[in-house]
Amino acid sequence: MSFEEIPHTADVKIHASAPTLEELFSETFKALMQVMYGTSRHGGTTRVIRLESTDTESLLADFLSEVLFVSEVEGLVFSGAGIRINGLFLVAELDGEPFDPARHSGGTEVKGISYSGLDILHDANGYMLDIIFDV
Amino acid sequence: MLEGINRVGMHEWEVPVGYVPGMRVAGRFFLSESLAKTLEPGAVRQLANVATLPGILNHALAMPDIHWGYGFPIGGVAAFSVEKGVISPGGVGFDINCGVRLLSTPLLHKDVSGRRDLIDELFRTVPTGVGAKSSLKVSSQSLDGMMIKGARWAVSEGYGVERDLMRCEEGGYMKTADTRSVSAKAKQRGIPQGGTLGSGNHFLEIQEVREIFDPDAARAFGLSLGQVCCMIHCGSRGLGHQVCTDHLKILESATKKYHITIPDRQLACAPVTSPEGKAYFGAMAASANYAWANRQIISHTARQVLSKIFGIGYEEMPLVYDVAHNVAKIEEHTLDGKGVEVCVHRKGATRAFGPGTRDLPGDLMSIGQPVIIPGSMGTSSYVLHGTRLAMDRTFGSTCHGAGRIMSRTQAKKSLNGREIIANLLKEGIIVRAHSENAIADEAPGVYKPSDEVVNVVHEVGISRLVARLSPLGVIKG
Repeated sequence: MSFEEIPHTADVKIHASAPTLEELFSETFKALMQVMYGTSRHGGTTRVIRLESTDTESLLADFLSEVLFVSEVEGLVFSGAGIRINGLFLVAELDGEPFDPARHSGGTEVKGISYSGLDILHDANGYMLDIIFDV
Repeated sequence: MLEGINRVGMHEWEVPVGYVPGMRVAGRFFLSESLAKTLEPGAVRQLANVATLPGILNHALAMPDIHWGYGFPIGGVAAFSVEKGVISPGGVGFDINCGVRLLSTPLLHKDVSGRRDLIDELFRTVPTGVGAKSSLKVSSQSLDGMMIKGARWAVSEGYGVERDLMRCEEGGYMKTADTRSVSAKAKQRGIPQGGTLGSGNHFLEIQEVREIFDPDAARAFGLSLGQVCCMIHCGSRGLGHQVCTDHLKILESATKKYHITIPDRQLACAPVTSPEGKAYFGAMAASANYAWANRQIISHTARQVLSKIFGIGYEEMPLVYDVAHNVAKIEEHTLDGKGVEVCVHRKGATRAFGPGTRDLPGDLMSIGQPVIIPGSMGTSSYVLHGTRLAMDRTFGSTCHGAGRIMSRTQAKKSLNGREIIANLLKEGIIVRAHSENAIADEAPGVYKPSDEVVNVVHEVGISRLVARLSPLGVIKG
């Protein structure tokens, strides 16, 4: 279970892999938070996101877009998420803390989650994807 | 050059029909041979993908700052028939009306050189970086004003002077804004961010005019050698990002509804005249207006700081011009000798209207529109003017900047933020940013040399060089 940033000239491209779809979503979510706010992130404040989408890739893009929205308007930086996926329904319990300029200013604002090249693959080892965050 | 691409001119290349399946027209891009080494196959494929969209006119175009984006390549320009064509958020981007403006001042290099207090004060007063909130109290009524009247709203609220509006593309606001198509979520994001710069490649720079190429145009634009200017580069912030996200979703269903085949989900689109297409266009215009208001508010803050520190008058710092880099517009262009309304998408490209074009203020009518091309941190920025050739060849468009050549991952590995700050200081450039990462991310070496990019558009003739400006101080997110 991991994620890594892979070279992309204009934006941030993430490769993530995990044994389950839920963990894949969780890894991609952590990558998003790390790109935006760096590695020093704690828990303590929770928020719940519930949504439904038309296919698995859209479910992920919608989930991450909703995370961007909640994080920005509530000024919250998340460290982890408990995710349940049932078909095309998702419930995510996010754990985070208020934005702290001293620890969270090292990152880059993500403007949007791109569908370009977004394809969730599944093989005997589990799930994997490449995703582009527009920065 | 990559295989399958044909040279059709000194700096002009063609991506022939058939490069990807379903192309309706050929792709054309402008690039010098030395810049061609940095061309990514992914960017060319994206240009070819644009050529598959319904109603595309002439060619799918890209400027010499072409690079791999999502949907359209960055540097992409495409015009579509209003009756038979489409509109796509993938041709505008998440940061709607990311753009740039230039203010001139009566100050000279010797007045501001080494003045860290100036850069510190700008850094203190202009909110920058991730999580930055505005000190403005924007009510929902004010937000409507920003979305409907853009820079005009800001001027009416005291953040500028009437003349500023004559020096903005579209007079500082698109008249087609539709605030009902802007979601409550987008509005919620817009309220706390009015007057904030953002992060990434956004910046505010104090610059000096180092070179004049065209004295007549420079005089008309109010620029002279040695003069200090202030450049502001930012966009529509979270409001625009949310509008793009929301409407991509709506347009994805519309793509299916109207039986449009697209090679990339990020090219989701709808007919320009469909309800979905109109809703996106209206929401995009509202976001573009918010960005114009935003740049106007930041200009006001910068003018106040300069005024306080140097004892100069507000009216001594006129706006040279303000241009959008990410936008779709309905414009009239001449096709086969006839005037036709088309929907022009500019994704990382700048409008470059030539002499005699409507929308230009009277005193610039014989010169052409000022085009402002920001450099990367530490490198030169340029002012050019639009040309008649651009009207004939590129729907009145030119490049928007240098264009990245190094990924952020590679930049962070190879460049150290602290060293970059020290090196820039040796050249007399003071940098303030919230993080060293942000500096390494945007360091001069990660972009194509901006002089090579502007030389291509100058030599092709789709805009002509007027002046070169070099940074003296930079604030970044």
